[in-house]
Amino acid sequence: MRHYNHVIRFAIILTAVLIGFFAVRGFIVPESFGVYGTYMYGYHRGNSDSEEAAQPILYYGSDKCRKCHEKLYEQESQAGHSKIACESCHANWQAHNNNTRNKVLKNGSIEACMQCHKKLSARPAAFPQITDIKQHMDDQEQEFEKGMECLDCHDPHEPL
Amino acid sequence: MNKDRRNFIKQTGWSILGGGLLISVFPLLPGSAHASKNKNHIFAFIVDIEKCIGCGKCVNACIKENSVPNDFYRTWVERYHILENGEVIVDSPDGGSDGFKPQEFKHKVEKAFFVPKLCNHCKKPNCVQVCPVVATYVSKEGVVLVDDKHCVGCSYCVQACPYGARFINPETRTADKCTWCYHRIKKGYKPACVLVCPTGARQFGRIDDPESPVHKTVKEKMLQILKPETGNEPMTMYLGLDKEVR
Ligand code: HEC
Ligand code: HEC
Ligand code: HEC
Ligand code: HEC
Repeated sequence: MRHYNHVIRFAIILTAVLIGFFAVRGFIVPESFGVYGTYMYGYHRGNSDSEEAAQPILYYGSDKCRKCHEKLYEQESQAGHSKIACESCHANWQAHNNNTRNKVLKNGSIEACMQCHKKLSARPAAFPQITDIKQHMDDQEQEFEKGMECLDCHDPHEPL
Repeated sequence: MNKDRRNFIKQTGWSILGGGLLISVFPLLPGSAHASKNKNHIFAFIVDIEKCIGCGKCVNACIKENSVPNDFYRTWVERYHILENGEVIVDSPDGGSDGFKPQEFKHKVEKAFFVPKLCNHCKKPNCVQVCPVVATYVSKEGVVLVDDKHCVGCSYCVQACPYGARFINPETRTADKCTWCYHRIKKGYKPACVLVCPTGARQFGRIDDPESPVHKTVKEKMLQILKPETGNEPMTMYLGLDKEVR
């Protein structure tokens, strides 16, 4: 019997270690871990992608605006700005939807137009650009007056 | 002597056989199959450099849609100026979120263009491989995501990404990056940056869907990717990319 003592002792320690390992592992490893995906790139906590997908949406696209601003929608889809989503120039839909009285961003300043139309060397040459409003007036052979704005001549929804 | 050699040859033979058998079994194990054979990379993002006007609407929409903290960007726009003397000047003030101002140079500008950047959602992402706690992964759809409940913020992935697409979010103290607006695309909406792009320089969709805007482009056009030498196999692809872009 004496000869087996060390074996038994070892077996007890091993069992203790194993139980400890699985107990700790059960604590640490989250639920649904590794349910989906392959080992190399896809291994993950199963709920984390649905948690990510549950984030609220803010931008909904121009179709949402159509319901109440039908006329402007039609007007815009005719003209040079037809490819631009309403929310590109205005605030996101969610802010407006929560309260239509909320002041939606509607910036008609020169800077707002120039963010897209300022002449830059890096812009594609085919894109309609202007150097500044004064130059633009000279090109039209018009007198430039102080306080002139883009919206004096252009409708943001139907620019030409 | 003779016997020794015989034994040696015998043992070597068995070892080679055994080793070979072991290696041949590996591909059968779940998950060790080659990632690019996976059929789950169904989405592609295409950036058309010749259409980008650098207005920064995409950067702004991304910040709002995803509540990105100040001074960090999930997507940003870089401006490249290539001068006559070969000099390359890149700038991206505030990630390009307020557009760009005209710039003057001593030398003549040969070429100039904008390069929108975002997470490349690679097929073989370095960032995923280095994560010590399996908090970042490729989803069923081929989108690289971060599990922010599990991330410990060690920023290994931030360093591993060859495109600089990741950062540590100062609010959550976890890794953060573009998700291709996973919460939107799961519900059938375009990513926010694609929605607000006025010129259609950003396109996103399923490759296998003939109705999707990227289907034809992927099938017919010449596409390029950033840093192909890193072997990450990005799913964000570029039209009209210059060799100086990195
Ligand atoms: C539920 C109907 C409804 C929808 C949908 C809607 N709006 Fe409105 N919107 C209104 C109403 C009502 C007003 C007028 C509010 C007022 O004058 O107080 C308004 C006013 C506005 C204004 C002017 C605000 C001002 O300060 O003068 C803008 C700009 C605007 N909407 C943009 C949008 C955009 C962009 C969308 C789509 C994302 C949209 N709206 C969708 C109902 C709607
Ligand atoms: C190019 C940028 C741009 C786009 C795109 C755009 N708007 Fe506007 N919108 C403006 C500006 C600038 C004003 C402010 C006009 C003013 O002050 O007279 C405005 C004003 C409005 C108003 C206030 C009412 C009015 O006529 O002044 C509404 C409503 C509106 N926009 C809805 C829309 C809708 C709906 C769409 C999408 C179909 C849209 N906008 C797309 C720039 C834009
Ligand atoms: C979000 C970027 C953006 C903003 C902001 C913007 N535009 Fe535009 N604009 C465009 C695009 C894109 C086109 C189409 C260019 C094309 O047809 O190649 C365009 C075209 C035009 C055109 C030419 C239309 C045509 O039929 O050729 C005019 C004029 C114009 N815009 C005026 C304005 C004015 C005025 C404002 C300020 C209220 C403004 N734009 C704001 C993006 C913008
Ligand atoms: C006095 C009226 C007036 C004002 C103010 C004005 N424009 Fe114009 N703009 C015009 C006219 C008229 C045209 C058409 C020119 C043509 O067809 O050749 C035009 C054309 C354009 C074009 C198209 C150019 C092209 O090459 O196709 C753009 C872009 C434009 N304007 C932007 C602006 C912006 C931005 C502002 C504000 C900074 C502005 N405009 C202010 C009258 C004006």
